[in-house]
Amino acid sequence: MSTRRRQPSRMQQAVDFPLDWLEERSGLVGGVKYFLFRKVPADTNWMQTLGSATLTAFLVQTVTGVILAMYYQPTPNDAYASIVNITDHVTLGWLVRGMHKWGASVFIILMFLHMGRVFLFGAYKYPRELNWVLGVLLLVMGMAEGFTGYLLPWDQTAYWASVVGINLNGTAPFLGPWLAQFLRGGQDIGAETLARFYSLHMLVIPGAIFALIGLHLYLVIRLGVTSPPWSKEAAGADRADEPSQLREGLTRPAARGAGESE
Amino acid sequence: MAAGKPSAVDERRAQFARYKQDVKARGKSFYPFAMFEDTVMSLVVVTVIVALAAVWKWTAWAPHHLGTHQGLLGPEYTAPADPGTTNFVPRPDWYFYFLFYLLRIFKWPETVFLGTVGVPTIALILLIALPFYDVRRERRLSRRPVAVVGLVLTILSMAILTWKGATASEALASEVIADVPNWISAEKLPPAAVPGAKLFAVAGCTACHTYLGTGSSNLGAPDLTTIGTRNLGIAFQIRHLQCPSCVNPGSPMPKFASLGTTRLHELAVFLEASKGKK
Repeated sequence: MSTRRRQPSRMQQAVDFPLDWLEERSGLVGGVKYFLFRKVPADTNWMQTLGSATLTAFLVQTVTGVILAMYYQPTPNDAYASIVNITDHVTLGWLVRGMHKWGASVFIILMFLHMGRVFLFGAYKYPRELNWVLGVLLLVMGMAEGFTGYLLPWDQTAYWASVVGINLNGTAPFLGPWLAQFLRGGQDIGAETLARFYSLHMLVIPGAIFALIGLHLYLVIRLGVTSPPWSKEAAGADRADEPSQLREGLTRPAARGAGESE
Repeated sequence: MAAGKPSAVDERRAQFARYKQDVKARGKSFYPFAMFEDTVMSLVVVTVIVALAAVWKWTAWAPHHLGTHQGLLGPEYTAPADPGTTNFVPRPDWYFYFLFYLLRIFKWPETVFLGTVGVPTIALILLIALPFYDVRRERRLSRRPVAVVGLVLTILSMAILTWKGATASEALASEVIADVPNWISAEKLPPAAVPGAKLFAVAGCTACHTYLGTGSSNLGAPDLTTIGTRNLGIAFQIRHLQCPSCVNPGSPMPKFASLGTTRLHELAVFLEASKGKK
């Protein structure tokens, strides 16, 4: 095989050709390269992995949810039996269902931890306000997934928790009765309710979550990741070599300076 | 003040420009440095999820080959849903416990609206709007005392509400039925009210209501010890049990029409006879 520098090897050409083809027609290769090789502050720490960990938990929910949908029957007559079948008979069905059930709790916990991290770092401040709003909407959507998914096994726990949950929604002023009626799909919880919850749980809300995650990540990449605020080398920190008394005055009132330790 | 003083908007724009410069000059590449940590954390997350699923399966099912067995993490499934039985204590998934317990703090029926939607809605609005009322540039915790206090109070109240919701006592029909003789003697219930009292104990009423201290007020439903003193009438009680929200618009109480007219009549007699301790 030729080893001349200027002439790429056949192997190299075989890799390059489809990538160049794709890049020329979509710009996707450049996009992925930009995503992977973008700079982040040098002092990011482990707390800042909570966002991607939340994404991982959501992807686990997506994959296990798709598999469950292949075996689950969303009708009052068959739902319970299909859950028992998945849990007790389908090969590794217990694992997929268990991962979906407990993955939901992990997903919710990670969302709260991630939100706590953003709060501690003050990372919701200018110019990242919109990303905070998107994050809170994701939290609400995640809780809605928990609420709609809880009914699907159609056992006593599921049924009675949903009866009360829907009735509580109904106590809201103006929208409440309408919302309860919409969720039930009639006067009582039954086939209509189960179909609605199933549709919301596996189509409507996950679709909204995917869209919100897309926007959330777009803003993370566009605006960048924050440095820990206590870091000595925090990116964007006020410059020590360009003292601005006005700036000092904004963050550190002179009157309080005497008794304060850094 | 001086004409050259930068406005707060100028200040934060300048800071973000500095941030971009600093990251460009001294930052690290996302791949492989930050991505390595992300990958390790993601593997931990998947491992934890698989471990939870395994513990759930092997403590619930393995001992008896029965999915309804209560393992370390709860049963794999309970009995099939049955709208006819009403003696089941409604319980949401654990991450709704804080909302669930909030209902207990407010009294039925005047202020329960605050617990169901009032407080959660206000909390959600405050959460969404956070970046729009906390507009200072400062990110260091030592200089954000209000934010720190707010965070500590929020975590404490969520933790306490979740814990209280998790440990709230549930009224089991088998335990409540043992209290019926006490009710009969304490309230001097007439013999006609006794079948209704027994039904009240087992039909699930005490999942939400209390009676002479028995039952659970998890959902903030009213105490029924002295419901008879309101003299609502047997016909009203039956209509209310059949369809609470038809009589009392917005009532979150489930319908008990499936009990049938005879048993509803027994319950109504019992409720009307409940005039408090004598």
